Amino acid sequence: MPSSLSTLRASIPRALCAAMALLLVLAHPAAAQLSFKPTAESVHEDQLLNALKEGDKITGRISIPDAMAASLIQPAGRDWRDFHRSKLPIIGGIAIIGMLAVLAIFLMVRGRIRVHGGFSGAKILRFASFERFTHWVTASCFVVLALSGLNISFGRILILPLFGPEAFATMSGYAKLAHDYLAFPFMLGLVIMFLIWIKDNIPGKLDLQWLKQGGGILFKGQHPPAKRFNAGQKGIFWIVIIGGALMSVSGWFLLFPYLPANVTTLQFWTVIHAVIAMLFIAAMMAHIYIGSIGMEGAFDAMGTGEVDLNWAREHHSLWVEEEQAKGHAPSGGIPRAMPAE
Amino acid sequence: MKVFLAALLFAAIVAVGVSILLNAIQQPSYVAFTTDGVRVGDPGHNLIGPG
Repeated sequence: MPSSLSTLRASIPRALCAAMALLLVLAHPAAAQLSFKPTAESVHEDQLLNALKEGDKITGRISIPDAMAASLIQPAGRDWRDFHRSKLPIIGGIAIIGMLAVLAIFLMVRGRIRVHGGFSGAKILRFASFERFTHWVTASCFVVLALSGLNISFGRILILPLFGPEAFATMSGYAKLAHDYLAFPFMLGLVIMFLIWIKDNIPGKLDLQWLKQGGGILFKGQHPPAKRFNAGQKGIFWIVIIGGALMSVSGWFLLFPYLPANVTTLQFWTVIHAVIAMLFIAAMMAHIYIGSIGMEGAFDAMGTGEVDLNWAREHHSLWVEEEQAKGHAPSGGIPRAMPAE
Repeated sequence: MKVFLAALLFAAIVAVGVSILLNAIQQPSYVAFTTDGVRVGDPGHNLIGPG
């Protein structure tokens, strides 16, 4: 209790100041931190350390619509970076260079697959104009997409040293635009291809027999029966449809990167896009080989749409019989000479 | 040959059409990321600004 009235009068302003200071400190958190120690509930360092385990990430609160901006530290990003810097080039190299080597060896050992009985001169319609149009829309887009995509993966290592930085940058800029926009006619071509050819590409027992005989291409003189599309062609069809669908879905997320919920999902789709691309390119190299230099008479199917009757009899005998029964094919042609066994 | 050339032309037309459409609907980030609660103003000539 104050000893005199003067002391009491002096202590009232001091008390008021202290009260105001306390109110100021309580209302101003920054100042409060200087004088208040954090409680046990406000510290979460163990959660912070645990979040750096594999598969998890440290996120913050954001007020903008871009959900991926909430990621602060994502340790899995290191694994993704290591994959596309070290493992992906190995996968791509083995797939593409390996396929080139296999095709070169096959050509050297087996040689070009000839029409055994020679060309008859008579023709049969194999692919109508719309079918060839669809094929070439898809194929031409595929070639540009493949080359521009390989440039994204390997261009800096393989092409930049050859052209220099300015030319490489200009070329890569246009290649990226071509890649982004030609994806759309490619996807359209895939859908149309699926619709027009699905009915002739359902696998069956005949395909097993064809495969057991190595498709007739491993050894000369063998011509296993086949309908409109043999097992090899059906394999290519499904590789294109399934591979193309995976490329389309993954590519869509890369075109519109705000669609995935988080950066881990985006990284997953880039891995799918890159790996499937390498395998897809390798498979298409085999398709391009057999359809051009690998087999005599094969290119005409997609070139003019008409193939030689003897060629068709040797490679798609059951289909020729069906077409002749419908009256769509001539019944002439030089009979195939039987080889002396 | 005609079919092949028609296919190339068709692919080019679709690609150009898609580029026009996508560029028409695309917003710059400072417009796309502006909400009622957050206003990201025109940043002028910095990295995310126009041009």
